[in-house]
Amino acid sequence: MGRLLSIEWMKLKNYRAFWILLCLYIATIFGANYIVFRIQQTIYAQKQAKGIAALVLGNPPYSFSSVWQATAHVSSYLLFIPGLIMIISITNEYSYKTHRQNIIDGLTRQQFIVVKILMAAILSLISTCMVVLTAAGFGLADGTNPFSFEGFHYIGYFFLQAMSYIMVAVLMAILFKRGGLAIGVFFAYSMILEQILVLLMNKYMNYAGRYLPLETTDILTPFPRIDKIINTLTSNTPDYTMFFIIALVYLAAYLFIVIRKFETDDL
Amino acid sequence: MAILTVENLHKNYGPIQALKGVSFAVPKGSVFGILGPNGSGKTTLLGIVMDILKASSGSYQLFDEKPTDAHRRHIGTLLETPNFYHYLNAVQNLKIAAAIKQRGEADIDQVLKIVNLEQRKLSKFSTYSLGMKQRLAIASALLGDPDVLVFDEPTNGLDPMGIAETRELIKKLNKAGKTIIMASHLLDEVEKVCSHVAILQKGTLITYGHVDEILVTEDIVETGAADTQQLLKVLQQYNNALQVKMNEQHVEASFAPGKADLEAVNRFCFENGITLNHLRLRKKSLETKFFELTQNKQ
Repeated sequence: MGRLLSIEWMKLKNYRAFWILLCLYIATIFGANYIVFRIQQTIYAQKQAKGIAALVLGNPPYSFSSVWQATAHVSSYLLFIPGLIMIISITNEYSYKTHRQNIIDGLTRQQFIVVKILMAAILSLISTCMVVLTAAGFGLADGTNPFSFEGFHYIGYFFLQAMSYIMVAVLMAILFKRGGLAIGVFFAYSMILEQILVLLMNKYMNYAGRYLPLETTDILTPFPRIDKIINTLTSNTPDYTMFFIIALVYLAAYLFIVIRKFETDDL
Repeated sequence: MAILTVENLHKNYGPIQALKGVSFAVPKGSVFGILGPNGSGKTTLLGIVMDILKASSGSYQLFDEKPTDAHRRHIGTLLETPNFYHYLNAVQNLKIAAAIKQRGEADIDQVLKIVNLEQRKLSKFSTYSLGMKQRLAIASALLGDPDVLVFDEPTNGLDPMGIAETRELIKKLNKAGKTIIMASHLLDEVEKVCSHVAILQKGTLITYGHVDEILVTEDIVETGAADTQQLLKVLQQYNNALQVKMNEQHVEASFAPGKADLEAVNRFCFENGITLNHLRLRKKSLETKFFELTQNKQ
């Protein structure tokens, strides 16, 4: 496996677009959370606004222990970027036909695709680490409560969510093979189409929208307190354990389809 | 030992049958040409052997064994187009290929030297001309000194010098004991470098075997005289000729390879009252031969 990863490293290390996107991504994780953090600071600095916010949200979201959850939620909106990175790195192989050459030169089809999935896992891990650092940083900067690992399980949910988003991107890349098309479908579905379907299906089909692929992971990282308020208002609390399991099942399905498709297709 | 054996390979792309039950074996040490016009199934056949296409039915073996990735690592292959990472230079690309083949990077400089790319080895692949890309692909196939080489249209995009060099290289590799499988639509290329040939047309294997046996080209004697009708009549009496026919202004007599004797033809005509004003020996063109081969079996 180390050999395969080192081959992947040789492909990426001199690929400038990859590094630019990765740096931008890491910067946006910090940046997006910083924006929300600043808004929070502004609100909690004003007496009147603080009163209302405290009534709704309690302690500032970016304070321990809710900071893990808040950062996971905000960062999850950026998961289209590692998805994009993954799509580019796979569809590049298709457009250069290097996926063929790699097999011709002696990789197995399985090795080729498993390494891509491994890359997806590594990107998810990098995302999660950045979220942990960002959350810890803002939690300490806020200073309302001392450092605590309470609520850290939302980081685990974020990892699952990142893996799901990136694997959907991998699936699009393998299904469509062409970069533009895969990126277009991935963005349209993950950012807009599914959100609309979730709203409609939740409204008219007894919360069936919650079972859509990416929504099963979105539902695991809601914004602190807001979720509880909405759940109380609608008197319909999702079974988080069940959605965790469904998300895992979806993830297994992406893996299965991607590996199976690459192993049996004409390349 | 057979390097490659294909048995009854079929490949369908939807309703189109790209291969219709192709079977043959490539003997060790041969230069095996797969000859056929565009779209005859040459690349499809090699693609299946290299596991990038899945056969609809049929099977193949490499080195008399069930094919695996380990076999592919011992075959240097250039299939259809040079496939490299555009944003990497020649050396970086070859390092990836060497890592996949599980060979050291030691011979990268040497293979680049063989294909005359040393000067540009640090330029990005995207800046290469078609011919240079093709050379790099040949270099990549040579990495790790494999015993078997598969070249699909190896002289594609090369200039006359490059074509001559590549053909020399193939001959040299073969002399060094390597087996070479080469797909080409250039009959003359196959005739010049191959020891064996398989002829494909529209997915059907028309024939295969030794080049000397298959691409046998008859000798043709072109003759002319004032009275061509009379000449035709006379030559039709000539015993050694396989076939005599009119062809525009000349009368052509065909002979088994190496059996045409111009002196004898001239004497025969003269003794039969015809004075020749034109006498020329020519080889039947390979193209004509190829058309004959492919037409007969349709």
